[in-house]
Amino acid sequence: MKAKRTVNGRSKIKSGRPDQIIQVLIYCVVIGLCLAIILPCVNIAALSFNDGKDAAKGGIYFWPRLFTLDNYRQVFKDGTITKAYMITIARTVIGTTASLAVTSFAAYALKEKELPGRKLLTILITFTMLFGGGMIPTYIQYNKLGLVDHFGVYVVPGLVSVTYLLMMRTFFESIPESLEESAKLDGCGYFGIFTRIVLPLSKPVIAVVGLYTAVNHWNDWFSGAFYMRSSRLWPVQTVLQQMLTRAMANKEVTSVAQAIAQNSNSVTSDSLKMAAVVITTVPILCLYPFVQKYFTKGAMIGAVKE
Amino acid sequence: MSITKKLIRFWPLYLMLVPCIIYYILICYVPMGGVLLAFKDYSFRKGIWGSPWVGFRYFQMFFTSYDFPRLLKNTLIVGLIKCILEFPFAIILALLLNEFKNEKFKKISQTITYLPHFLSTVIIVTMLQRILAPNIGILNQFIGKLGGDPGTFFLMEPKYFFQLLFSMDLWRNIGWDSIIYLAAISGVDSALYEAASIDGCTRLKKIWYITLPGIRGTIGLLFIMGVGGLLSSGFEQIYLLRTPGNMSVADTLDTFVLKMGLMNGQFGYATAVGLIQGIVGLILVIICNRLSKRFTGVSLW
Repeated sequence: MKAKRTVNGRSKIKSGRPDQIIQVLIYCVVIGLCLAIILPCVNIAALSFNDGKDAAKGGIYFWPRLFTLDNYRQVFKDGTITKAYMITIARTVIGTTASLAVTSFAAYALKEKELPGRKLLTILITFTMLFGGGMIPTYIQYNKLGLVDHFGVYVVPGLVSVTYLLMMRTFFESIPESLEESAKLDGCGYFGIFTRIVLPLSKPVIAVVGLYTAVNHWNDWFSGAFYMRSSRLWPVQTVLQQMLTRAMANKEVTSVAQAIAQNSNSVTSDSLKMAAVVITTVPILCLYPFVQKYFTKGAMIGAVKE
Repeated sequence: MSITKKLIRFWPLYLMLVPCIIYYILICYVPMGGVLLAFKDYSFRKGIWGSPWVGFRYFQMFFTSYDFPRLLKNTLIVGLIKCILEFPFAIILALLLNEFKNEKFKKISQTITYLPHFLSTVIIVTMLQRILAPNIGILNQFIGKLGGDPGTFFLMEPKYFFQLLFSMDLWRNIGWDSIIYLAAISGVDSALYEAASIDGCTRLKKIWYITLPGIRGTIGLLFIMGVGGLLSSGFEQIYLLRTPGNMSVADTLDTFVLKMGLMNGQFGYATAVGLIQGIVGLILVIICNRLSKRFTGVSLW
C-alpha cells in the first residue's frame, strides 16, 4: 500500500486536488449536520439549568447565565409529573415484557417451515402493514374491549409489530437446525427447545426488539392523549404534550413577560417545561451509547428481510 | 405426512401462536371490518351492525365539501415532503459517511445523527417551540445579531409551516434512515471499486456507477414502503405543530378525521375519510410495486 502511494505520488498531486476538496466538503457537511443536531439540545439543557425569569429576557445560548436547580426541584415537587413518570416506567416495563413474550412465541412458531397455514398467517399478518381500519373503527374496537380509560391501552395495542415479528423469525431461522434436532432426541418438546436452546442463543435479537419496543413505549403520547380521558393515568409524554398544546394555543411564549411581572418565583412555566424535557430524555440518552450497536444491528436485520 | 398428523405434531406451536393470532384478529382485523361504518349512520346504541345503511353518502359529502380541496392540498404537500422530498437525503448522508476514511470520526457522526430518532415528537416540538420563540429563542437571537428582525413568530406564520415540518422531520430521521443504506453499501462488492480505481475512475464516478446501482434494490423497497403513506403521514408532527396562526395549512386528512370522529362524534363520516386514505395508500403501494418490478426487478411480493 505504502509503496503504491510513493509510486503514484506524482500523479496524486494532479488528481488529488479535487479529491481533497471533496473530502473537505464532506467533512464540512457532516460536521454541520452534527452541530445542527447537538446545539439545539445543548441550548435546551442550558435553559433548564437557568433561572426562569432570567431566561425570559433572552440571551441564553449554550451555557446557563444564572445557574439554578430550581426548575428541577419544581418538577419533582409537582406531583403530576412524578406520578406520570412512574406510569411511563410501569408501561414500559410491562408493555415490553408482554410484547417480547407474545412476539417471540409467534416468531418461533412461524419459523417452522412445515407448519400448516404458515404462509397464510404470514400474509395476513404482513397485510396489516399495508392497510388498517383507521382511527375511528380502532377507537370503537378499543372501547368495546374495555381498553379506553384503562391502563391496558398502553400495553395491548402495541403487543405485536409486523417488523419485529419478521425480524425475530429471520433470526430464529439462522439458528442451526442440528441443535434443535439433538434436543429433540433428548426428549425436549417444542416449548423446551424454545426456552432452553432458542432463547439463550437469541439474546441479540431479543435485545434489539426489546429496546425498540421500550423506546416506543417511553415516547408514546398518543394513547394517553386520545384513549385516556382522565389525566390520572397519563404517562409523562402525554403530560408534556398537554402542556405543549396549551402553550401553542395560548401563545404562552409571548406572554412569558407577563409571568415575570406576576410571579415572584424564579421558575416560569417555560423553564419548568425545559426541565421536564430534560428529565424525560435523559434515560434514553444515558442508555443510548451502550445500546447503539444493537440498534444499528437491528436496523440491518430488518433491512435484510422485508 | 398428512395434514392431521402435522396438526397433531405441531400443536405446541399453534398454542404459541394463539396470543398473536388473537391480537391480530381483535386489534387489526376487527377494526378493518369496522370500515363498514363508512357506509352506515352509526349510533353507539345500535352498534355497527344495527345502524342503518347510508351508501356512499359520506363520500359524496366529503368530496363536495368546502374543506375537501384545502385538506387534500395540505395532505399532499405533507406527503410529498415526507415521502419524496426527504427521501434522497438519507441516501446522500449514507454516501457521505461511507466516504470517511477516519473510522472514529465516522462512528462519532453516526452516533450523533442517529440520536434524534429516539426523541419523541412531543419533546422535539417542545424544544422547537422554545428555540423558535420570538425575541428570546436562540434562532431569533442569532437573526437579531446578524441584523435581521428577531421578532419572527415562526410557529404562528402559515408560510413557515411546511419548511418547519420538513426541517424537523429531516433533523429527526436523516441519520436513522441512512443506516439501512449504509448496510446496503457495505454489501457492494469491493472488487468493483478496485477495478474502477485501476481504470482511473474518480470518486464521484464510483458513487454514480457502482454504489448507487449497487443499492438500487434497497432504495426501491424503501420507496415503495414510503409511498403508501402519501395521504396519511406526519400526523404527530402536524397535530403538535398546530397553532391558531397556522391552522389554515396545518389541517390534513388525519387531523380532520380526528376532529370529526373523536371530537364531533361523526363516526361514519370520519371513517369514510379514513377509508379513502387507507385505500389510496394501498393502491399506491400496489402501483409502485408493479412499476418497480417491471423496471428494476425489485418488489415487495
